[in-house]
Amino acid sequence: MSKLTINIDGKEVQAKSGDTILETALAAGKYIPHLCYCPGLKPEALCRLCLVEMADGELITSCRVPVVRGMVIKTKSPAIDRAVRPTVELLIKYHHERCAGCPASGHCELQTVMSHLKIDRKRVRRLRPPPAKRPIDVMNRCFDYDPNRCILCGICIRTCEAIHGESLLYYIGRGHETKVAFYGDEKKCETCLKCVERCPVGTLLAKNLIEAK
Amino acid sequence: MDANLIETGTKEILSTHGKGHNKLVPILLDIQESFGYLPENSVRQVSDFLNVRIGQVYSVASFYKRFQLTPIGKRRVTVCRGTACHIRGAPQIVTEIENTIHLKEGETSADLEYTLETVACIGCCALAPVITVNKAVYGAMTPRTAKELFNDSSRGDKNA
Ligand code: SF4
Ligand code: FES
Repeated sequence: MSKLTINIDGKEVQAKSGDTILETALAAGKYIPHLCYCPGLKPEALCRLCLVEMADGELITSCRVPVVRGMVIKTKSPAIDRAVRPTVELLIKYHHERCAGCPASGHCELQTVMSHLKIDRKRVRRLRPPPAKRPIDVMNRCFDYDPNRCILCGICIRTCEAIHGESLLYYIGRGHETKVAFYGDEKKCETCLKCVERCPVGTLLAKNLIEAK
Repeated sequence: MDANLIETGTKEILSTHGKGHNKLVPILLDIQESFGYLPENSVRQVSDFLNVRIGQVYSVASFYKRFQLTPIGKRRVTVCRGTACHIRGAPQIVTEIENTIHLKEGETSADLEYTLETVACIGCCALAPVITVNKAVYGAMTPRTAKELFNDSSRGDKNA
């Protein structure tokens, strides 16, 4: 694979051709917010958090665009902030209010994004709809699903598709009531638990496997 | 509804459609039209016919409000909750109807007589607050007239 350099925030960075901008930046230790990107899966650019600014001022999703020799990009700018911040705030507004007690706390991508953007929790609290907690779904004998945490990144669906050819999981519903479900195909699940492993937040929760057997 | 009837009915519908993935919504619309909802077995037949996962069919079906996954009642009561109706008292009307026919929003009575649902706009805001019972439209409702509508069964029947 040939090497090339691109310019990220004024620094020359080594990149492999074929890699995306996001992968290059992450490898160089430059964090760009992202939620629906997952190494090894085809990028779908669903979350719109990985926006970067090109030299001509255009915003592009860095998870989807491969590097080109001599590219000059910015990962921080007022335009990016105006686009990304509201997206994150709206996501959190429908997310669980507290991180305490969440099994993903500490390695949650949403927490990383929030601290990177210095999201003002008080401001988000004002936007919050009245609490309507949705019950946890029992998915199968190995894991559960907490709809109050799902950010609908589709990583679980794409993972199932990538590993087993066709996904057993699908979106259900519409708008902020969308969730992910098996639709009666849960018996066909081979319980590889890769979806649970890759969920960027704490939505899919592995049960105590010994107990489940 | 009789399982055999559903099966043959679905077969008939499928025979009038081609096999492409883009036929999914037209097929589901036809099934919804003939049975009033999407029976589980029909959905299975559709998924076999088009060779798509059953989950994918449900994913599409659950996206559109037009599709029902459970049988609906003989009288489908739709209360508009659009902005105009909301401001002119739709919430109170919903509560009143809920108390009169003993159903919560989104429910169908056990005897399949009523289904109560709310929608975002029926499209006649000048009549706000408005409800429909099947195809009959009732405008300028108050909680009282709504209650009368369902207590006075003769009126309800006429429009059923
Ligand atoms: S369950 Fe997890 S991986 Fe799946 S869509 Fe929700 S947040 Fe993404
Ligand atoms: S990571 Fe690029 S759009 Fe989600």
